[in-house]
Amino acid sequence: MRLLIVEDDQAIRTFLERGLAEAGFQVDAASDGLSAMALAIEGIHDALVVDLGLPDIDGLEFIARVRAQGSTAPVLILSARRSVDDRVRGLEQGGDDYLTKPFALAEVVARLRNLLRRHSTQPESSRVRVADLELDLVRREARRGARLLQLTTQEFALLEYLCRNAGRVVTRTLILDHVWRMRIDPATNVVDVHIYRLRSKVDVEGVPPLIHTIRGIGYVLKPV
Amino acid sequence: MSLSLYSRARSTAAWRISIWTTVAFSLCSAVAFTVMYLLVARDVQSRSDAWLTGEAQVLSEVAANTPRDSLDTRLVQEVAELASHEVIEEGRRSGQRRQSVFFLVTRYGQDPVWVGPEPKALFVDALSGASRQPGLPASIMVPGHPLPFRVVWNNGPEGTRLYLGFADTAANAMLHRLIERFALIWCAMALIGFAISAAGAFRTLQRVEQISEMVGRMGTEDLGKRLPEALADDEISRLSRTFNRMLERIQRSVNQIRIVTDSVAHDLKSPVTSIRGSLEFALLHGNSEDWQDRVADAVEKLDRLSQTLNTALDLAEADAGALPLKREPLDLGLLVERLSDLFQPSFADKQHKLHCYVQPGLFIEGDPSLLSRTIANLLDNEVAHLPPGRKVAVTVGQADQYAELIIEDDGPGFPEELRVRAFERFVKGQHSSGHGLGLAFVNAIVQAHGGCVTIGDSASGGAQIRIKLPMAKVSA
Repeated sequence: MRLLIVEDDQAIRTFLERGLAEAGFQVDAASDGLSAMALAIEGIHDALVVDLGLPDIDGLEFIARVRAQGSTAPVLILSARRSVDDRVRGLEQGGDDYLTKPFALAEVVARLRNLLRRHSTQPESSRVRVADLELDLVRREARRGARLLQLTTQEFALLEYLCRNAGRVVTRTLILDHVWRMRIDPATNVVDVHIYRLRSKVDVEGVPPLIHTIRGIGYVLKPV
Repeated sequence: MSLSLYSRARSTAAWRISIWTTVAFSLCSAVAFTVMYLLVARDVQSRSDAWLTGEAQVLSEVAANTPRDSLDTRLVQEVAELASHEVIEEGRRSGQRRQSVFFLVTRYGQDPVWVGPEPKALFVDALSGASRQPGLPASIMVPGHPLPFRVVWNNGPEGTRLYLGFADTAANAMLHRLIERFALIWCAMALIGFAISAAGAFRTLQRVEQISEMVGRMGTEDLGKRLPEALADDEISRLSRTFNRMLERIQRSVNQIRIVTDSVAHDLKSPVTSIRGSLEFALLHGNSEDWQDRVADAVEKLDRLSQTLNTALDLAEADAGALPLKREPLDLGLLVERLSDLFQPSFADKQHKLHCYVQPGLFIEGDPSLLSRTIANLLDNEVAHLPPGRKVAVTVGQADQYAELIIEDDGPGFPEELRVRAFERFVKGQHSSGHGLGLAFVNAIVQAHGGCVTIGDSASGGAQIRIKLPMAKVSA
């Protein structure tokens, strides 16, 4: 997977380059819109990470030009503004995504993966399996080994999201966005409480735990 | 020195005001004097005309009644002398010695009788253009005489014509003196008028100058200063008062900003210090077991910090009226239900009972993301501040044209010191660990939606927050 990062702030660009390279992406980076255009024109990138506040051309203008070149690569928009304006929301509906600064690296990685997956046309299977945990997405049932888990609707949706991202760290913000469809930032540990409850049902005593807390970042579901 | 004073004065409004006042005043008084002069002159002329007509009448009567012999001529001459003396007496008093009366009798075949200044021929020529009607005075100009002569003629016996002419030098001198005096008085009046209006205007505008000087000197440090307010209720006192009121408002908002910056600085200082501490420890003890905990701790604190900053900036934007609202039709009950579901485990975790009573189908025009954050904020508050084991009720209903959301509990209620200032930023309870922006944010967002927030007591003595949002117009 090859990415193009367009970001004029050097600190953020370096941090993204390093972080995304570590996450297994091939990364190209540009500090302004025009030199990014030169890279994008090759059409070799699977996804673009674009900052809106570029020194030469507006980030949205850049995206429009790339699209005009026939590129269909999904775009993750970075914005310094807290409230996202309508034009960006419009892009979001078109299949792209946005993040406001400051953001967690885990969040960038997760959203990029999400974009790339959404972009590929792989059919979603009706079953998900991680170690001895199995989810039947049609019957909305979850089993750990032979044991049927008694989950609420919310807990099942949360577990499904964790399983789909098995092995990858997801942040609380991502969980709220994808499971509850809310872009809020609660001051209390709302998500943690949900995770504890789910964990008490999934990781009972005597079985190896699957749901792990990555402190300061979020959670990951993976076999030990 | 005086030149620079003059050029300084010329650039002032007071100067312009006095100039214009003086010009207007002078024009009006000039018109008044002219009218007065014309009235006097007309009166003088009609009086001298009356004398002239009467005198001519007498002369022609004398001529008619006296038989025609040499005596007749003498008589006419004497009468003429008398008349001219009478007038000359008047003229002498005013220093005028020029003979200003003439008398002419024309008759067929004989020399005309002439009494008056020489040369007679000039007068006879001028008289040919005189009035055609007997007994009516008319003016004629005679070369060599600066003043016009008023002339009356009458028909005498046997085709004679008697002309009597008169130049009223005395009246003319009187009118001349009148003009001179009027001009003098007029100049004096204009000067005095200018002086008075200039003094008044300069004095009044001096006060404006003082105000502008004081305000100009004022920096942000002495916002506590006030302009002196005169007792009189004139425009300039009002200006001072307006300035003072404006200064008060500025002082209040500057104080508010200072409080906010102080609070931000204070609120940033402690997390920054502890973040730095955590990271420092992690660096120094890179191999110890809990370094990961330290770093994670730092990241969590940074998250809270950026949350505080975001909310503070959102608030600033809302205050400036620049918060972009992405409105869409929204079922308030549904939104509240989803959030309650999300928070339910958190409440259960603290042994609270959360009840949600929702009337479905109450649509409002709102920004779903901002309203979600607003309601989440209020639920966060309940989770964070309510002592364990209480009941919380969330109700969505309709009140007139508003959708109403009520969140109430049976806890200890709002602390007294918070009630009045609950919606101000950085106001928080003594034991609150929040950033103190929560209710200010709620208030700002609800107001941006055209609604209102009130806080009060619930039936059980706990806290109650009531939010009213205008319902969406129902489209048929």
